[in-house]
Amino acid sequence: MSIEVLEVLKKTFADPGRQVKEWKQDTGGKAIGFLLTEVPEELIHAAGFFPFGICGGRARLEQAEAHLQSWACSYVRKGLAMAINGELDFLDGIIVPLTCDSTRLLPGIWKHNKPLPYMDSYRLPKQVERPSAKKYLFKELERIKYNLSAYRGKEITDEELKQSIRLYNSNRGLLRKLYNIHEHNPEAISNKDLYTVLGASMVIEREKLNRYLSELVATLEEQTKPPAGKKKTKLYISGTFINPPEVLDYLDESGGTVVGDDLKNGYRYIQDDVEEAGISPLESLVNRQLKKKPFAGYDVPSAPRRYNLVKASQQKKAQGVLFLHLKYCEPENYDYYDNLQALEQAGIPSMRIETEFGDTSLGQLQTRIHAFMEMVGGESNV
Amino acid sequence: MSEKKTFKTAARMKEIMQEYYAKGAAAKEKRIPVAWVTAIFPVELLYAAGIFPYYPENFGALASARKVADKLSRYAEAKGYAHDLCGYARCGIGDAYAEEHPVGEILKPDVTFCCNTQCGSLSKWFEVASRFYNVPYFLLDAPQILDQPEELATGYYVDQLKEMIAFLEEITGKPFDYDRLLEVLHLSNETCRLWNEILDTAAMKPAPFGFFDACFHMAPIVTMRGTREAVEYYQALKEEVDERIKEGKYAIPNERFKIYFDHIPLWPKLRWFSELFASHNSLVAVSQYTHSWAYSFDLERPLESLAENYTEEFVNRSFEHRLQLKMNFFRKYGVDGFVLFSNRSCKPTSLGLYDKRSVLSERTGLPGVVFDADMSDLRFFSEAQILARLEPFFEQLASSQ
Repeated sequence: MSIEVLEVLKKTFADPGRQVKEWKQDTGGKAIGFLLTEVPEELIHAAGFFPFGICGGRARLEQAEAHLQSWACSYVRKGLAMAINGELDFLDGIIVPLTCDSTRLLPGIWKHNKPLPYMDSYRLPKQVERPSAKKYLFKELERIKYNLSAYRGKEITDEELKQSIRLYNSNRGLLRKLYNIHEHNPEAISNKDLYTVLGASMVIEREKLNRYLSELVATLEEQTKPPAGKKKTKLYISGTFINPPEVLDYLDESGGTVVGDDLKNGYRYIQDDVEEAGISPLESLVNRQLKKKPFAGYDVPSAPRRYNLVKASQQKKAQGVLFLHLKYCEPENYDYYDNLQALEQAGIPSMRIETEFGDTSLGQLQTRIHAFMEMVGGESNV
Repeated sequence: MSEKKTFKTAARMKEIMQEYYAKGAAAKEKRIPVAWVTAIFPVELLYAAGIFPYYPENFGALASARKVADKLSRYAEAKGYAHDLCGYARCGIGDAYAEEHPVGEILKPDVTFCCNTQCGSLSKWFEVASRFYNVPYFLLDAPQILDQPEELATGYYVDQLKEMIAFLEEITGKPFDYDRLLEVLHLSNETCRLWNEILDTAAMKPAPFGFFDACFHMAPIVTMRGTREAVEYYQALKEEVDERIKEGKYAIPNERFKIYFDHIPLWPKLRWFSELFASHNSLVAVSQYTHSWAYSFDLERPLESLAENYTEEFVNRSFEHRLQLKMNFFRKYGVDGFVLFSNRSCKPTSLGLYDKRSVLSERTGLPGVVFDADMSDLRFFSEAQILARLEPFFEQLASSQ
């Protein structure tokens, strides 16, 4: 089955810089990049800039080795390597969410080696349950809004922000629908295609994305017929990133289907909408951040991450959990043992795989995923 | 630091540290709550509330200095904690699971308090500990200072200090004693003043005191600032340093060069490094690390002042600001060269050092070098590799004069 818009989105994902460069040429506008995934992109969009999600590219990690130790995670090394490689030259600016020590140190190193006209950090609070967090975050978002406004030379109005929120909510809603279609009928859209669309959604003009997604979802909903063939093995993926994308091929070919995840370039990117009615749009952005599920960046004592993991896996009837961790990602590693214990107590099998952007042995990865699928599914199409 | 040069005060330190640990053990019996805290934390509030503060980082440094970090770490690694996490955290987590406790058992907390000015590793470690010991976790969140200090960050921190005080009142069942806080802050000011006066003597040429001495004498400034014992300790040490100046006793026999060192020392190799530098007539005079405890609290505005002091540490500042701080130290101490330790255990002090080395040399004309190792774990220590870095540096130093 070939759906035209799906092909367009696949092409976008394969060459992430293409659309933004065309857009800049057509409109004379500016592009602001961001590292995944907490950055309130709606603010970038409301200022009329092209929000560009940085998540892997062609540059080799060695291109960052004179600037970042090999034991910094490969996501930040890859980002810096891409910048040094000239692969991100279309960016006028960047916003880095300070979620961990590596992201906290990256902006200074980036600025030193590849300064951009607009550079900012998003200092999300690491405790979200006390009243101080809300008051602080409001001011922090005001600061970012002010900086973006100053860079544009015109204040971002509430109306502009509300419009961007509406568009983003709509895109997220459509992506969640797509996720849902995949969950219930994996034949309609494969693991690989689902996450390819998610990846593309971060590097495409968001108005265009909305049209493409509407068409894609409508087409898939029309086409939906009862799932054929063997029953798929349901998996939940926990960790940082879907990386490398071949992981999804290995799941597809071994009869696995992803029914949930907590990844930065996965469900965490589309999970939470921003309230549209009532309060000020900036306050809505604050509330969205504070109600987000805890992740490796911080835990929430009253609703710990490990219980969310068990609950989500059970709700989705996942037969196993695949931990997909980035090597040297300290926050994920600190959480791992307790996450594992919680899953074991709930009787959910799991496997942990460590990968790096641009440096993972694919053969071994394939073998391990196939073996795990066989173990949790009890049957395999391999 | 050779044996005959050991400070007399060192014996006193052993005593007061033993007394401190004994207090920790007794706290449990006396039903005084034991709180885990981080090194850069407004511990003054805990002392004022009558809670015993315990420093797991100090436990990690001790285990590292005794060369057992890898042993303890292996217990953590067996559970799936990676060997590239912070070495202190691996010691702490490892000890919780260990069957043997080569440096004594880590003190179990009744509550954990963390401030993330230093890093995100501590907050993750303390989250782990709070789950393991099943005790409450309280984070003082310190947003990075992007450029100049701003009300946004300090105001947030003050709000959190108030939340923390309410939490302390809940734990102790007593109203918070603000008068006692002022007394504690005064003692902290005194401790920090003395400590920094001692550190400053490293600028004399030759100097009676250097970085490796500071590493040896820093436990009380980290763990006991805010107490009378710490003030008395550094008074005694200051007197002894002053005596040495009068008697012409110096930190190394033949000081020719002064070196700046970033940041934390390699605890299990402290002696090896101090002898290596001394053999090249080089005194490691100064490090941002030992200068971290340079607080000065304004008793007229205690909470605001606590917030400023504890959020504005070097490690929470920008790339450029940290370069400026280093160059200030270079000038103040008349440094001839600098050595930067890229410490696998500590991303916030290490990431960026590769670029900073060349920037610092360009801006100051001083020779400098970066080497990689781990502050705790000898599995990441290669004497040959480090010497391959440091020997050319020493040659450069010698030829620069």
